[in-house]
Amino acid sequence: MSKTFDRFAAVAFLAIGVLFMLESLRISKSAYGSAVGPNVFPFLLGLVLALLSIKLLLETLRYDVANTSRRELQYKKFFVILISSILYAMLLEHVGYIITTFLFLIIGFQTIQRGDIWKSIIISACFSFGVYVVYVKLLQGTLPSWPVWFS
Amino acid sequence: MEAITFLFDGFQTALQPHNLLFAFIGVLIGTAVGVLPGIGPMSGVALLIPVTASMTTGLDPAQAATSSIILLAGVYYGAMYGGSTTSILLNTPGESSSVVTTLDGYQMAKQGRAGSALAIAAIGSFVAGIVSLIALVLLAQPLSNLALKFGPAEYFSLMLLGLAAVSGLAGNSMTKAWMMTVFGLLLSTIGLDSVSGVARFTYDISVLYGGLEFLTVAVGLFALGEVFKAILHKEKNDGEIAKIGRIIPSKEDLKESAGPIARGSLLGFFVGVLPGAGATLASFFSYIVEKKLSQTPEKFGKGTIAGVAAPESANNAASGGAMIPLLTLGIPGSGTTAILMGALIMYNVQPGPLLFDEHPDVAWGLIASMFIGNIMLLILNMPLVKIFAKIIETPSKYLLPLIIAISIFGVYAVQVTTFDVLLLIAFGVFGYLLSSHDFPLAPLVLGLVLGPMIENNMRRALTSSNGDFMIFFEKPISLVLIIAAVLWVLVPLFMKLKGKNVVINEDM
Repeated sequence: MSKTFDRFAAVAFLAIGVLFMLESLRISKSAYGSAVGPNVFPFLLGLVLALLSIKLLLETLRYDVANTSRRELQYKKFFVILISSILYAMLLEHVGYIITTFLFLIIGFQTIQRGDIWKSIIISACFSFGVYVVYVKLLQGTLPSWPVWFS
Repeated sequence: MEAITFLFDGFQTALQPHNLLFAFIGVLIGTAVGVLPGIGPMSGVALLIPVTASMTTGLDPAQAATSSIILLAGVYYGAMYGGSTTSILLNTPGESSSVVTTLDGYQMAKQGRAGSALAIAAIGSFVAGIVSLIALVLLAQPLSNLALKFGPAEYFSLMLLGLAAVSGLAGNSMTKAWMMTVFGLLLSTIGLDSVSGVARFTYDISVLYGGLEFLTVAVGLFALGEVFKAILHKEKNDGEIAKIGRIIPSKEDLKESAGPIARGSLLGFFVGVLPGAGATLASFFSYIVEKKLSQTPEKFGKGTIAGVAAPESANNAASGGAMIPLLTLGIPGSGTTAILMGALIMYNVQPGPLLFDEHPDVAWGLIASMFIGNIMLLILNMPLVKIFAKIIETPSKYLLPLIIAISIFGVYAVQVTTFDVLLLIAFGVFGYLLSSHDFPLAPLVLGLVLGPMIENNMRRALTSSNGDFMIFFEKPISLVLIIAAVLWVLVPLFMKLKGKNVVINEDM
C-alpha cells in the first residue's frame, strides 16, 4: 500500500465526484415519463464518491510508515511499449492494419527482449497478415488495409 | 419434467457442429489461460469478447449470441481446470483459485506423484462441473419464476445486494472497493439517458453519446492492465517443472479422494452461488474443511491427495454455481460473470428471469454446452496434460506484445473508432495503477454493467411511488434484500473490529 498514491487517488476521485455533482446540476431536470429526472442518479453517485474519497483520505492519515521494499520496475520498457501502442492506435487508420501491426509487434518483441530478430519478424508478419486475411477476406470484416496514399 | 425437455433442446443447439467447435475453442483457450500465470479468467474472457464478436459476424444475432457465450463460458470454466497444472508442477498457481492446490500438489510432484495429482485434479473438476450443472438445471426454472414476480423496487434492492456483496469481499480495503463500485456506476451514466433521452456528460463529443463501451473498458482494465503489470514487474519463472510420470491414478488415490471431491463439489457450488464469494474463497474453504474432517490432518501440506482433490473440485463447482445468479436473476456475483453478462448484453440478450422465456436457445444451449465442455476438458486434461505443461514455457517476450495486438485488433474490429483504441490504452494504464495499489477492478466492471439497470429500476420504482424513497423499505422482499445488503457490509466490518482475520477474495 502506498500512502502517496492513495492520497493522490483520493483527491483525484474526490475531484471526479464533485465534478459529476456540479455537472449533473446542469443536466435538464425534465422528468418526462419519470418522477425522477436524469440528473438525480449521477448527483447521488457523485456525492457518495466524494464522501468515500474523503474517508480514504482520512484513512491514509492512519497508515503505518510505508514499507520500503520497493522493487525495481522496468519503466523504460514500459514507456517504449506504451508510446508505441499509442502511436499504433493513432496511425492505424492512416497507415493501415498490416504495416502498423507488423511494426508494433517487432518493436514490442525487441523491447521486452533483444535478439532473435528473424523470429520476431516471422511471428509479426504471420500475425499481421494472418489476422488481416482471416478477418477481412474470410469473415468479411472491415479493417484499414494499406496506407491511404497507396491506392 | 419441463427442465429435461428444455435441456434436450439445449443439447440440440449445443451439438450443432459450429457450436461444438466454439465450445472446444473455448475450453482449449480456457485451459491455456489457466496454465499461463499472469493471465486470469477475467482478462482471458475480456480479451476474447471482441475476438468472438468478429468470429460470429456471419451468424444471425441469436445464434451469434449463443455461440459466443458458449465459447466465453468455456474459457471461464476451462481456466479452473488449467489453473491446477502450474500449481502442481511449478508451485506457481496459474490462477488465484488454485493457490491452495500448491500446498499439497507441489509436494506430491516432488514425491514423483505429479501425474496422479493432475489426474485427480481433472477428475475432481469434472465431477464438480457436472454436479454444479445438474443443480443449475434443477434451480434455473424455479429461481427465474420467483424473480419474475419482482418489481422495479425489488430489482433495485437485489442489485444493491449484488454490489454490496462484491464490494464487501473484494480487496483489502472496503473503502477502495466501494469507491471503485461507485466510480463504475458513474461511468455508466455517461451518454444518452435511456429514459429521457437527455445527453449526460457528453460535452458534444459525438463518440461519447453511446456511452463508454463496456468492452473497451473491460479489455483495457483486465487484459492490458495485466500486460502492463507483467512488463513493469518482470517476473521470472525459474522454478523447475516437475516430471509428470504416470497419469492414471491408483485405486487408493481414487478411494481417498472420493469424499473430498464430493464435499468440495457441494461446498464450492454453494459458495459460488453466493454473490461476491467466488472460486478462490471456495477452494480455501474446502481445503480447511477437509483438514478439519480428516483423521490425519498432519498429512495436509505434505502431499496428501485430498488436499488437491477438494480445492480443485470446489473452484470448478463455484464457477458453475456462479452462473446461477447470472442466468436466472441477471445479477453477476463476480468480476468474470460481470464480463460474461456484458458480453450477453452486447448481443442484445438480457440475462435474468426473462432469459429462459425469451431466449431459451441461448440459456439452455449454454447449459448443455457446459456438459459437453466438461467432457472435453476431462479428455484434454488427462492424456494431453503433458502438452499443456509445455505452454508454461511460452516466452513472455512474444506473449505480451501479442496480447496488446489482439486487444487493439478486437476493440477496433468491433467499435471501428480510434477513440476506443486510445480509451482502451488509457484504461490499461488506469487498470494497472489501480490494481497495483489495492483498488479492486471487479467492482468497477460490475458497476459499469449494472449501472443502467440499477438506475432504470430505481427511477421506475420512484415513479410508481411519486418520488418517495420509502418504497424500497415498504415492499417486504425489497426490505429483506436491503437488510441483507447492509449486513453483508457490516458483518465483515464488525469482525475486523473484533480483530478477526476476514478472508477476502483478491481477484474474483
